Amino acid sequence: MKSGKSRTGANPPELETIGADPERPNLNDPRAVLAVLETDQVVAQKSRTRFGRRKFSFALKALLWSLRAYVVLMLVIVVIAVFRALHALH
Amino acid sequence: MDSPKEKPAHPTYRPAHPTTQPAVSSSEAPGLIDQLTHEDVDRARDRWRVTRARLRERRSKLFGWLPLFWLLIGPGVLVFLGENDAPSMLSYSATGARFGVGFFIPFIVLTFVMGYVVQEMTVRLGAVTHRGHAELIFDRFGRFWGLFAMGDLILGNFLTLVTEFIGVRAGLSFFGIRPGIAVGGALVLVLVVITTGRYWTWERITLGLAIFNALFIPAAILAHPDWSAVGHALLTWTPLPGGNHYEILVLILSDIGATVTPWMLFFQQSAAVDKGMQPRDIRAGRFDTLLGASLASVFAIATVLATVPLFHHGIDASQFQTAEFAQALEPWIGHTGAALFALGIFEAGIVAAIAISTSSAYAFGEVLQTGHSLNRSLREAWPFYIVLLGSAGAAAALVLIPNVSLEFIVLTVNVIAVLAMPPALVFLLLLVNDRELMGEHVNGKWANIAGVTVTVLLICAGITFGIATVFPKWMGG
Repeated sequence: MKSGKSRTGANPPELETIGADPERPNLNDPRAVLAVLETDQVVAQKSRTRFGRRKFSFALKALLWSLRAYVVLMLVIVVIAVFRALHALH
Repeated sequence: MDSPKEKPAHPTYRPAHPTTQPAVSSSEAPGLIDQLTHEDVDRARDRWRVTRARLRERRSKLFGWLPLFWLLIGPGVLVFLGENDAPSMLSYSATGARFGVGFFIPFIVLTFVMGYVVQEMTVRLGAVTHRGHAELIFDRFGRFWGLFAMGDLILGNFLTLVTEFIGVRAGLSFFGIRPGIAVGGALVLVLVVITTGRYWTWERITLGLAIFNALFIPAAILAHPDWSAVGHALLTWTPLPGGNHYEILVLILSDIGATVTPWMLFFQQSAAVDKGMQPRDIRAGRFDTLLGASLASVFAIATVLATVPLFHHGIDASQFQTAEFAQALEPWIGHTGAALFALGIFEAGIVAAIAISTSSAYAFGEVLQTGHSLNRSLREAWPFYIVLLGSAGAAAALVLIPNVSLEFIVLTVNVIAVLAMPPALVFLLLLVNDRELMGEHVNGKWANIAGVTVTVLLICAGITFGIATVFPKWMGG
């Protein structure tokens, strides 16, 4: 990863690439916009590339399913708790 | 500059890996030059300011870091002060009124440590991948699991939003403001804040509102807390709470739910992306998150301390509505203290309403691949803003139904947030350990130990709650 500091201690490398003045950037120049954004930060680039699916091992699938069952079970228990509380109020 | 198509017909699927080089020096640069949007330019403007602040930081020995700090704080402070919301403050109030100073003071600090552990991971995910949490889950785990995660988020967010407007209504009722005006005014405020068309402006206005969470500090001071007892509780975790074990368990879960909830994961990652954070900002993002957690824990403890007089005078707060805490406190902390408390509840509700509805809108936009940035105007990203305002509007309307048991709703919503958290945490841990996605920024050993510990603790708390509900006699209920 780039550190953002040039070896000379002057402008960061992305600014030196386009010869930009960090004090007065001209954002009408598309290169000035692209100089400070990473490739994946540009909306057009993001919308045309997607991260691929990861592989699911059996253990991972089992974990995800058990957590799903946990949430469903817990929601049922919350419904029971709410029902009991309302019953107690009346 | 032309606007790119939102949904390319054939998106490129590529192995995930972080791309941290400036776009101008990438091979895609020539193709991107003609496709820059208003959103890109706004984000670039924010990045230029960060770049300039970094250069000045290097030149200045003393306080050179301050401008950079000012530019990079935001998502972390907002997420934690946003989570110090109306139901959280009610939960802390109920804790102080029911148990006084003791076990719950350090316990609340512990919940914020847990909150920091998980939120720090979202900073790294956002800064490295430049993708929101919902988008990453859909990309890496597929539509099937993504829809489950979204279902949990949307249900939790909507219920929580309802409780935020309960807080708004209740806080302003202390000043005699009618519910319709209070809730309607809050909705208008949400609208005004989001229509700035700039993430930066939205963030600063919301931060400005969020700092009023500190109103609970003068309220606590006016309650004249016993500071030595507070110090003793922090060091020894005593006295332990006594009485009905089921009630204690619900408050424990509710206090955890006041700090660690699914919307926070989605919100902070999306906000970090919208802010334009990059891997070199991760350190600042960590500080931002730590600052948010620290401020929020101080304000949370202040809320407990403000309501301790109710404990000392044996006042039963179990049936209190939110505003009734302020009214009940008036004899002990005075009208000013009570007014500060009520204003604090209002602030907690409004800031969280802004943050949570934004979190829902980000997630919808990411999943549907439509514009999802506060740097876009209402016209450019109308589906994003419709979800944002629609969710807030529907929640606000529900709150206007008379004779609803408000305190019961808010505690239940906090409990649901805790119960929905383990799957969200597992998705988070899987993503942040995904080396293809995160490169060198994957979780280290200790971050994984902390993350897994938090997840196991939440599952154990949930299972204990389940057992106590099904077999109440086991817990003395």
